[in-house]
Amino acid sequence: MNPSVLTALKWTGLAVAFIIAGIGLIFGFYQGLPAQQVILYTAATFALVAWTWRAFTLRWSEGGKPAAAERRDAEGNLVPTAGRAAWRSFIRAYRAVIAGLIILLLVFGICSITITGFFSVLNIISLLVLIGLLIFSAFMSKFVVENRSAFIGLTVLVGLFVVGSLKVEGFIYPENIKSMLLFASFLGLACVGQTMVALLGGLDLSIPFIIGAANVGLLYLIGLGVPGWVAVIMIIVVGVLIGLLNGFLSFRLQGQALILTLGVGFATSGITQILTSLGSRFAGNVFGAVPEWLSNLAAMNGTTFGLDVPPVILVWLIVAALLIVGMKNTVYGRYLYALGGNRTSASRLSISERRYWVAAYAISGGVSALTGCLLLGWSGGGFIGVGQPYLFMTLAAVVIGGTSLLGGAGGYGFTVIGVLVLQVLTSFLVGIGLNFQWQQFIFGLLILPMVALYARSPHIRTQV
Amino acid sequence: MATAPARSSSAAASTYLLVPMVLFFALLIVAVLRSESLVTATGLGSAVIVATPLILATYALMATVIAGRGTVDLSIGPLIGFINVTLVQLFGQDIISSPIAFFLYALGVGVLYQLLMGLIIVFIRVQPIIVSLSGYLALSGINLVILVRPGGTTPEWMGDWGLGISIFSPVTAILIIATVAWLLFTRTAFYGHLRLMGSDERAAFTSGVRINLVRLGAHVISGLFAGLAALTYTSLISSGDPTQGTTYTLIAVTALVLGGASLAGGRGGAIGSLLGAVNIYLITYVLATFNFGAVQSFVTDLAYGTILVLSLLLTVVLPHIRGAVQSISPLLFFVILSIIGLGVIIHATYDYSAPAAATGTAAAAATPTAGSSFIFEQTGEAATPAGGSTLAGPLAVAGLLILSVLIILRSMVAQAGKTRSLSPLVYVVVAAFILFGVYVVANPESVTGLGGTTQSAP
Repeated sequence: MNPSVLTALKWTGLAVAFIIAGIGLIFGFYQGLPAQQVILYTAATFALVAWTWRAFTLRWSEGGKPAAAERRDAEGNLVPTAGRAAWRSFIRAYRAVIAGLIILLLVFGICSITITGFFSVLNIISLLVLIGLLIFSAFMSKFVVENRSAFIGLTVLVGLFVVGSLKVEGFIYPENIKSMLLFASFLGLACVGQTMVALLGGLDLSIPFIIGAANVGLLYLIGLGVPGWVAVIMIIVVGVLIGLLNGFLSFRLQGQALILTLGVGFATSGITQILTSLGSRFAGNVFGAVPEWLSNLAAMNGTTFGLDVPPVILVWLIVAALLIVGMKNTVYGRYLYALGGNRTSASRLSISERRYWVAAYAISGGVSALTGCLLLGWSGGGFIGVGQPYLFMTLAAVVIGGTSLLGGAGGYGFTVIGVLVLQVLTSFLVGIGLNFQWQQFIFGLLILPMVALYARSPHIRTQV
Repeated sequence: MATAPARSSSAAASTYLLVPMVLFFALLIVAVLRSESLVTATGLGSAVIVATPLILATYALMATVIAGRGTVDLSIGPLIGFINVTLVQLFGQDIISSPIAFFLYALGVGVLYQLLMGLIIVFIRVQPIIVSLSGYLALSGINLVILVRPGGTTPEWMGDWGLGISIFSPVTAILIIATVAWLLFTRTAFYGHLRLMGSDERAAFTSGVRINLVRLGAHVISGLFAGLAALTYTSLISSGDPTQGTTYTLIAVTALVLGGASLAGGRGGAIGSLLGAVNIYLITYVLATFNFGAVQSFVTDLAYGTILVLSLLLTVVLPHIRGAVQSISPLLFFVILSIIGLGVIIHATYDYSAPAAATGTAAAAATPTAGSSFIFEQTGEAATPAGGSTLAGPLAVAGLLILSVLIILRSMVAQAGKTRSLSPLVYVVVAAFILFGVYVVANPESVTGLGGTTQSAP
């Protein structure tokens, strides 16, 4: 590429950044926002656009073959003499982006028509941000070959944060971020087991039932006079035992792990409730006092070493770090991936499939029980249904994060991204006043395109 | 070409029917011993009404589960709920009200949804369970938006369906038509392709099966059953209920597995699913006869879980004892078990002052040789005691029935190797019995009140 074109590109980029930042500035003052905020956002927008532009032009000018092909496409689009073929190849190359654009615009149009007051400046800016992110991620994902799911998840996260802070008052205040992290840490802990099991190609639907049972059982034990920490250890041990049971039973029934763990879950929550409500008039609820340290551990106003942060967030961070590092570097972690990737070759390496399968389920049971205990500290009262939202939420977080349900690909780091996306989205939807059912609806619609972007199975032709 | 693999594998699969069969009769006997009202006309009527939506939902799941790739349609419950609440809302606004419109709408929505799901699975190639999870979340959310809390009304013509006084309600007709339709469908080449694809998709592809079409077809069939399930569900509760999604999905999957289907694909059948769903109903029924007080629902949970796990474990054991089990014909097994079961039922409900009815009962009930006649087995049983006062008629009936059962058994033994070629005959005989049963129930009602004898028994 000759220098003159490069210079022209550079100046065009600066101009574009200037114009976009200017639009932001005007809108900002039009909205009557504080001046510092407007200036900060303007500067940030300018820097962002300029940097993106530079990154792209540099890549294109230095890039090898794929970049060149792309440029030709773009030119074919611009130069009318290339005609239809160029158009067609252009559309084929970017059909996902075009479909996404059309869907976004359609949704925006429908919302503007049906909801009064939807067509506002802020919403248009949000739409522009979303479109920008869509195009950005579509172009960038060509360069991100590995870990594309993490990239897409992070992009969605950034988009949600930007739109959220635009639309929702107090979205990025520390208080809100703290509460988001708190809920994310519960969901994240509940997802530990699901991730491990998914890496082996299984599913664990007993998680919500174990959470509920642990929640009720812990309070019951404490009510019986067992010291708090002993009770927690007992509950976790029982959780591990249930997990072991799950693992042993489902090992021969791997195709049906879904339904088997569900059965074990039903039985667990049934037994727990029968045991705890014997002689009590209020079945399903257990009353009692939660120890001080436990509620400090998980409640919103808890403190860690004097810091105004609930310790459970710290617990989650430590668990996440341990898992991410451990799965990469320990024998156990590597063998788990090996088994998930290919059973036959793993058994050639004399990796015991049974041991790893059972261990994954045992970990899942133990961590679920721990989550149930922590949720007791948060809510302050035992309730068997406390795990119910986690029934499919853990699955959704694992899937959005990018861990393959067929096993062998993904990891806890991905799940963390999935959990954060779900949590920030929930917070955002609550912020704009949508209730639970709309949230669920939007989750459902969101999972599919996100997974379609990075977890498509190969065509049957390639598997023969 | 297609029937050959279907036949050989159906023989292997039928051993998996033994578990639900044993469970069914065990539960039936316990249920009858606990509470005799189950085998009266009213009891059976309400049993059919309550169990039919579940049975149809299980069929809907079955069609896609057979297709393989781990297609467990988690969204079946919310889909039924969606059709239910939209029907109620549309009726509430006077947009549709006629039976034809209801049917068309329910079936149409079911098929459209499943077709969309199938298209996504086939062309976007996302794992089926993720698609169904997505559908589950989206539908159960939108259901609560469409109808905020349970409520609404159904048209008058549907109101009679849900009463459950008589066994011969339109719901029964829907159930029989659906079951027969599935049994007929299993005789097509398409079904062979479906099972081949479910057990080994690559083999199916390389042997020239158009797997995309077959998969879409499985989804369409599933949608049809889902539509029917939604209709009968609407008639059962006579209103709209947006919150039933989770429960229904889990129970239907449980029923499917109890019926011996494999969630891994390739194995499953109407008789098994029927038995599985009826078993679920019977478990609830039996547990309801015990009074657990406040922990009732927990005991139900515990029982569901335990029975589910145990029956799954039995399917693991089955291949190991197949040598011993192989010689058992499921059909004969069923007949023998039903005779035993009926012996217990008669013992429990028998009025010893009117001895003539006994033979008639046993014979009339021993006839079921195909799944379609299943409900009617009980019909004959419930109906013949009614005629107990006039001895001649029931005796003649009993003689005829015993004779035909003997003929069927004899010809079965004679042609044990060629069950396929025999099955049309079995269907004809069963159909004759059904007609006859209808006739018996329709006429002697003038003699004494239906089920009066049964209920007066100690």
